[in-house]
Amino acid sequence: MPKLPPALARLPSIPRPARAVLVFLLIYVFLVGVSMLESGIKVMGADTQASLFSNVDSPLAGLFIGILGTVLVQSSSASTSVIVGLVASGALGVDAAVPMIMGANIGTTVTNTLVSLGHVRQSNEFRRAFAAATVHDFFNVMAVIILLPLELATGFLSTAAGWISDRLVGSAGSEWESPIKKWVKEPVGWIKDFLKNFVDDDNVLGTTMVIIGLVVVLVSLIFITTNMKSLIAERVERSMNAILGRGGGAVAIMIGMLITVAVQSSSITTSILIPMAAAGVIKLKNIYPVTLGANVGTTVTAILAALAASRPEALTVALVHTLFNLTGILILFVIPFMRPLPIMAAEKLADVAVKNRMIAVGYVVGVFIVVPLIGVAIFR
Amino acid sequence: MVMSFFRKSESGLDHIAHQTISMLGDARHSFDLASTVIISGADPKAIGADIDATDDRINKAEQALRSELVVHVAVRGGADIGLVLGYTLLLKKIERIGDQAKNIFDLAADGVSLAGADDIDEFVARRQEISKMYVEAADLLASQDSVAAKDFLKRSLALNDACGAKVGEYMHSEQPGSWAVPRAILYRYWKRIVANLAGIVTAAIEPLQNIDYLDDGVTDITDD
Repeated sequence: MPKLPPALARLPSIPRPARAVLVFLLIYVFLVGVSMLESGIKVMGADTQASLFSNVDSPLAGLFIGILGTVLVQSSSASTSVIVGLVASGALGVDAAVPMIMGANIGTTVTNTLVSLGHVRQSNEFRRAFAAATVHDFFNVMAVIILLPLELATGFLSTAAGWISDRLVGSAGSEWESPIKKWVKEPVGWIKDFLKNFVDDDNVLGTTMVIIGLVVVLVSLIFITTNMKSLIAERVERSMNAILGRGGGAVAIMIGMLITVAVQSSSITTSILIPMAAAGVIKLKNIYPVTLGANVGTTVTAILAALAASRPEALTVALVHTLFNLTGILILFVIPFMRPLPIMAAEKLADVAVKNRMIAVGYVVGVFIVVPLIGVAIFR
Repeated sequence: MVMSFFRKSESGLDHIAHQTISMLGDARHSFDLASTVIISGADPKAIGADIDATDDRINKAEQALRSELVVHVAVRGGADIGLVLGYTLLLKKIERIGDQAKNIFDLAADGVSLAGADDIDEFVARRQEISKMYVEAADLLASQDSVAAKDFLKRSLALNDACGAKVGEYMHSEQPGSWAVPRAILYRYWKRIVANLAGIVTAAIEPLQNIDYLDDGVTDITDD
């Protein structure tokens, strides 16, 4: 096998088996974080819980909070896991959580759009990069425009997800004896007992546990993603080369999904595509299905989080996320005349953005910050 | 294709390194065919398709490997950037020597033949010497043996000078143009090929900024 020049050989790193063990430990820590979040909310008084979540009674407010929360942490895996934790605590209902989940889907696309702005100095590169990033945005926004009203009118997504979780873990309202919950309950109990030494008030104790839970979820997800990326970089590279060689379609969806499940972050998958698009080695029509696969793949994190929850509703919400993305693919990718719409919209926006770069900046700030802020202010 | 994610196989720069060596093998094949046609006087039409197909293979491999280098940087970040830029130069040099072999073939296609010439033995020897250098360059790419590489570079510099001297000799020859010009052009192409082979080996062992340049800042023997 050809050796790489010694001067450029990579630095020694953690051996692969050790890194794999580390990832398992981090997943455990992540689940402890989700469980801590759930316990923290439960410890708070009923009045506090009601006042905390009264703002998301409106579906549109929920949608915009989902966008803002995800933009803040730049990870839909993290935000949906937090939503799952809130539903598991009983403080947030499935109906209120569904629009937030849809908002998280939109919010997560901010990362690759920001990455595309790095190519702003080269017109042609920027046109390709910005279109590659915004095709994901347009798919998610169009999916929400189509599916949120349908869900509000019929509840078909939550009904279908509820039916599946009924079969898997039991009916809504019951307590589910998750085996994973048993494993993560102990450390949460230790932390709670430890905090009780310093805090008497339930609201303060609950808030502290929620904050610790949030930090644990976010930090563990960052480390899971970093380690998994390093662990499977070769596979990602090989898969991306396979897409370049053979094009898009269902295979690209599957590859996008596999990579995202492995690294637990759709932002990583979609952001890898941006420099490839900018360099012109992958076409927009081949990028599009990979981002759809990433959308589906990222829902696995919330399903994982739901396994550490004690209420079946948590799994229902996680499954709504998966079903929402699968239905979106059925409508916007499988139906032939719908398929070009996100691509055309992304290309048009990229053409406009190349002529006036401030439009690109305005688009990012407007779609991901200003509009959601105004939306929350109006609809809460 | 989805299974490529699960399958354990060569990927990244190892795959690119192997493909680069394979490209060099194709370039040698083109060189041998083209030089043999002009030296032996064989019918160019008989091997034209093979030369074109090999050149097409080299060009497509260069394009595919460039894409793979972009993917490598996109996935791994900037850690291997020096190596990636080095490979970009390397691939271009291999593509160039493929083109130069095609140029030699074009001479033959234009009716130039050295078959039966008085000085044919000299051309046969040079062709063999250069052909062996392709193999050596490929081995050095794989082994990164800097001692052997330095020896290779020394010999290639000497051969390059010798080819240059031959070009000068034919340019000032008293022989008719139909005799001297094809010989001068052939040596000129060979000189370019040797220079690019030296450049390939330099790319394998020297830091990126030294490729194509000598210590004192002047350009090396590579000539386009």
